[in-house]
Amino acid sequence: MAQERSKAEQDLRVIRSLMERATVYRAISAPAALVAGFLSVFAAAAIYLNDQTSLGINRPVQGRAFAAIWLIVLVMAVATNAFFIWREAKKDGRPFISAGMKLSLRAIAPNLLIPAAVTVWFLVSGYKGAAEQQLVVVWIAFYGLALLSTGFFAPHSLVCLGWAFLLTALALPALRNAVGDLPANLPHIAMGITFGLYHLIYAVCTWPRKRADEIEQFAVE
Amino acid sequence: MFDYQKLDKIIHEKWRLAIMALLASRRIWSFQELKAELKMSDGNLITHMRTLHKQGLVSVTKEFRGRPQTTYALTAKGRSAFREHINALEEIVKQWKP
Repeated sequence: MAQERSKAEQDLRVIRSLMERATVYRAISAPAALVAGFLSVFAAAAIYLNDQTSLGINRPVQGRAFAAIWLIVLVMAVATNAFFIWREAKKDGRPFISAGMKLSLRAIAPNLLIPAAVTVWFLVSGYKGAAEQQLVVVWIAFYGLALLSTGFFAPHSLVCLGWAFLLTALALPALRNAVGDLPANLPHIAMGITFGLYHLIYAVCTWPRKRADEIEQFAVE
Repeated sequence: MFDYQKLDKIIHEKWRLAIMALLASRRIWSFQELKAELKMSDGNLITHMRTLHKQGLVSVTKEFRGRPQTTYALTAKGRSAFREHINALEEIVKQWKP
């Protein structure tokens, strides 16, 4: 009798794990987050060094150059993420554009409209008003919202990452009010911390580890 | 006393139970997706899918999207049988709780 109960419990656990795993979609893979994190830290550090010393282009990186550098980082990070998702799908014999990806894109897309519009505005005329900090707050806030919008089917770690971005975006204007005279290169530092450091922490926390989980044990039995 | 006749013999087999769990989690699954998720061989998966299909628990659709693709879904009978099976398992666990 105890055996029957133990078998029933195990069956229920396996069913739950399978159903949860099948409905979870990780929109950002750990290796992609690692690459995005390094790219962002590298970009932020390079800009910081350029602005603090006379090395580099001999003038501070601001205005359109600021937006252009971070857009290049974005394109490289998105391409890297797509590559890793494609490679994982190919390895498992799944379609690249899976049901999970479609669901994810549908959830994320509306959150990208405002940052896209604000970026276009910044590139056309906003850069004249030195609005880098506002642009950065919009990018960080809406990236956080985009991640949170996948919360119904995303793993907990991705939701935590979304909250970290959103809370940082909220803190930046408050910090400006509290401290008053913030360094001119704050936008770069904020980008380095959020898109760089946060992604690196996410990558370390979610890096795939080899361990025999319950489903694998079930398959071997 | 729990009536073990309530356990569906077709679904109670471990691989078919796993297949039913996946099919219950999402509307449509392709053969390749099921195979990758459960790490089963082609032959093993085909055998179990045939059994489930014969019992009317699973529907099969064969399409040509650049290449032949077979997709599976739970039928209404399959969904209800799976739900009853889960209830039966829960009943066993509740009944023998120390």
